[in-house]
Amino acid sequence: MMRLSVSRPEKLYSTPITDIRNTVGNVPMEWYQDYPHIGYNLDGKKIFKPIRNKDELDEFLDKMENPDYWRTVHDKTTASDIRLTDEQVDLVHRLQKGQFGDVNFNEYEPSVDFFTNEVMIHPVTNRPQDKRSFIPSLIEKEKVSKLVHAIKMGWIKPRKPKETTPQYYDLWAKEDPNAILGRHKMHVPAPKMRLPGHEESYNPPPEYLLTEEERLVWEQQDAEDRKLPFLPQKHSCLRAVPAFSRFIHERFERCLDLYLCPRQRKMRVNVNPEDLIPKLPKPKDLQPFPTTMSLVYRGHTSLVRSISASPTGQWLVSGSDDFTVRFWEVNTGRCMKTLEVGGAVKSVAWNPNPAVCLVAVERTVLLLNPSLGDRLVVSSTDQLITAYEPPEEDKEQAVTWALSEGLEHNMGHRLTLTHPKAVKQVVWHGKGDYLSSVMPDNSSNLQVLIHQVSKRRTQNPFRKNKGLVQCVSFHPLRPYFFVATQRYVRVYNLIKQELTKKLMTNCKWISSMAIHPGGDNLICGSYDCRLAWFDLDLSTKPYKMLRHHKKALRGVAYHRNYPLFASGADDGSVIVCHGMVYNDLLQNPLIVPVKVLKGHQITHDLGVLDVTFHPTQPWVFSSGADTTIRLFT
Amino acid sequence: MSQLQTRFFTDNKKYSVDDVPFSIPAASEVQELSNVINKLLEAKNDCLVCQCDLKRVLCVLQEDVVEIEYVERFTAPQPEECMMHDDWISSVEADSEWILTGSYDKTARIWSLEGKAVMTVAGHTDVVKDVAWVRRDGLTSLLLTASLDQTILLWEWNSERNKLKARHCCRGHAGSVDTIATDPTRTKVTGEEEEVEEPPSRPRKKQKTEQLGLTRTPLMTLSGHNEAVSSVLWLDSEEICSASWDHTIRLWDAETGSVKTTLTGSKVFNHISYSPLCRRLASGSTDRHVRLWDPRSKDGSLVLLSLTSHSGWVTAVKWAPSHEHQLVSGSLDNLVKLWDTRSCKTPLYDVSAHEDKVLCVDWTDSRLMLSGGADNKLYTYRYTACETDAGA
Repeated sequence: MMRLSVSRPEKLYSTPITDIRNTVGNVPMEWYQDYPHIGYNLDGKKIFKPIRNKDELDEFLDKMENPDYWRTVHDKTTASDIRLTDEQVDLVHRLQKGQFGDVNFNEYEPSVDFFTNEVMIHPVTNRPQDKRSFIPSLIEKEKVSKLVHAIKMGWIKPRKPKETTPQYYDLWAKEDPNAILGRHKMHVPAPKMRLPGHEESYNPPPEYLLTEEERLVWEQQDAEDRKLPFLPQKHSCLRAVPAFSRFIHERFERCLDLYLCPRQRKMRVNVNPEDLIPKLPKPKDLQPFPTTMSLVYRGHTSLVRSISASPTGQWLVSGSDDFTVRFWEVNTGRCMKTLEVGGAVKSVAWNPNPAVCLVAVERTVLLLNPSLGDRLVVSSTDQLITAYEPPEEDKEQAVTWALSEGLEHNMGHRLTLTHPKAVKQVVWHGKGDYLSSVMPDNSSNLQVLIHQVSKRRTQNPFRKNKGLVQCVSFHPLRPYFFVATQRYVRVYNLIKQELTKKLMTNCKWISSMAIHPGGDNLICGSYDCRLAWFDLDLSTKPYKMLRHHKKALRGVAYHRNYPLFASGADDGSVIVCHGMVYNDLLQNPLIVPVKVLKGHQITHDLGVLDVTFHPTQPWVFSSGADTTIRLFT
Repeated sequence: MSQLQTRFFTDNKKYSVDDVPFSIPAASEVQELSNVINKLLEAKNDCLVCQCDLKRVLCVLQEDVVEIEYVERFTAPQPEECMMHDDWISSVEADSEWILTGSYDKTARIWSLEGKAVMTVAGHTDVVKDVAWVRRDGLTSLLLTASLDQTILLWEWNSERNKLKARHCCRGHAGSVDTIATDPTRTKVTGEEEEVEEPPSRPRKKQKTEQLGLTRTPLMTLSGHNEAVSSVLWLDSEEICSASWDHTIRLWDAETGSVKTTLTGSKVFNHISYSPLCRRLASGSTDRHVRLWDPRSKDGSLVLLSLTSHSGWVTAVKWAPSHEHQLVSGSLDNLVKLWDTRSCKTPLYDVSAHEDKVLCVDWTDSRLMLSGGADNKLYTYRYTACETDAGA
């Protein structure tokens, strides 16, 4: 630290005569810590470190005793103390002040212009003028002509004159006056206090004064239950009115009300419920569909469990609990044939291909030839059945196949398949050779059997029992097999022999199932009044759930050509719906209920037991517990 | 009570009245209108014997003056005979002397007009669906029966000796034969089949001529319908008309076998009938309407008129042979209705003799109406103009 206030000492110490200079350059002196020298002088000789370094005490003593201590600086390179001369100190002072180091330098010398500011008549140089300085530039001319042309053509708009009027604008012009902006718009004024009425009067009419009983009641009530927070009192004059003792209390409660009671505007969305319903086409634009009951087929004496129409649409077969199968002519309602089968008929199915008709009776499945229609077909069907030749090795099969002969053959029986258990449903494959029968049984894996008629073979496709099988169906086009158990529909691939899909129906108990002729959609009726439509491409959950029936559904059916499906239920009604399936995969099926068909009477809490469509016309047949079959057209 | 200006007019010269407007009560019924007309006729011509029953048919409101056309009233058709069959009657055809019926008991029967059973034609192995007279040479007649057993049988019947002989069996249909028709010259037969066997094949229409031999094959097959053919008839000797379940009526050229015109409806056709008098085709279909068509119209599917009063399918229609406005229709609602085509909302008469479905109707030249149905009864009705017509 330099103490500049100290007066300058007279005595001057000159620097040592010998000019010791270190030649190592600007390197850190720590590099020489381990050496006895600290560098080399001009002659190349080592500069040795002083024998003894000054320690702190030496430093302190020096500081106290040496009057020139303040102007002494330590030179690390030579490890010597240098006493600065007066000139050097002066230079340091000047530099500290930000002045020039040179004492003699005058920074404010008078300036002398290099060129005079007066305009002279002669040029500074004697160089002759360039030609371009007096000939107009061609480039400029070209540019100007371009601009002129652009202005003429209107490509460049001359600059608009600046508007001199001041520019104001309405800050709130765009603001919707009804819009709620900011908190101030949300302000809800505090509810006003009720104005005093007659009760509060100091001299109320007598009817406002409480009687003795009322007053007792008032006193016994809780403060919250009281109709009035005070007792009306009558005073002779205003002067006689005493001070209101509850005044502070009342003000306080008022403040509490204002402070604690939340005041908020309730935003209620006004939506018309009609707008939320999707737009459906009107039923009358979706014609044709069955609308009226046209024919009643009478003849059965017990409830008709099952019906099926022939592929040509001329005949109808029905199976009933009166142990008969009847064949009907569709367009007149004539019963053409009655066959006694010796058991309640649970299911009938007309073969989609030839004239074979199939009937399932208790524990047996009968193949019948109704002998209706073309003689040639009838005889060829018989030939097909009799042409069977048994294979050499007889395999053990789950059912026994027996050929009917004699009287039974004349009646139309052709083959009898005796099952080990009661058969509930039979269904044909679309080609007409395979058929499947269902024997619901909760405890065994022998529930579904697939038979091949031409080879008289039977196989059990399932090894495990996955639950009580309700109904089965073949896919109309591809080798898939649908099995409906109590709550799920499983789709099996028959070629790969694996489970393809499992549909969750969300129903308690499935009763019936139908596959769309396109094969990608499926409907399921259930005993809990629901009809579930599945789009197999979409999801394993129902695409639509229809709850139109009041009671349990018994039968569902799709039409083969028209976009129609029908469901029959225990409430005695058949509901026909329009179910359009589009080829476009992006468009979901359109489902519109179009007609409720009534006609069946409810007997023993059973209404319609089965529905089926005419194969070519938009007609629906329904069979009921009232022993009739009805045709709706 | 408000009064209406009315003007009466008629086509019948015998009963014409002066063309002056009358003022009558607005709530006049048919009976009152008839009385007015009868009074007028009496005033003009006092020799008219008794009151002529007239029926208002047409009301046209025209500039305050209601124009009322009146026609002479016929007496209601009275059931005359009831012929009991053993089973449902599927078809009936009558000529001037005999009635031929086909029944579901696999037989056809011949009756006299008085209702006496003359002959039972048994030979089919299945239900007889249609019958037709072919021709008559004195006492010998030829008749045809078509059946569900895919055959048509041609019979020769001698009415004097009451002898019946099966002459030919016509085979060729691949389904039940539901309808047959003979051409006006009584030489050709057209049969119609109901069902198709192989899916790609079409129902065919067979036509046969008189050839010798027991079994005969079709002369020509008319194919084009997609579904069962329900009714067929000859318009004249060159044209065949057929109605089908595929919602079309087709007109065929009998020489070439090609389709000339197609009339497209919206419902399944049950039965058609053609009247040469008014050149209209009447069709009964699987709804409540009897529709009238013009088979000559080139643009196809024009329904000229629909007669609506039935409440069930119309199973049979038949034009009157001698009156161009009248036709009779039978329906599944057990009713036979007599229509005048000039009033399309209400029929002239409802005949409710049947207790079950009416399946067939016919009309003879001698104004005898016939209807048969599922109650096994064939009714004949005497239906003639009133006595004044005959007396005057």
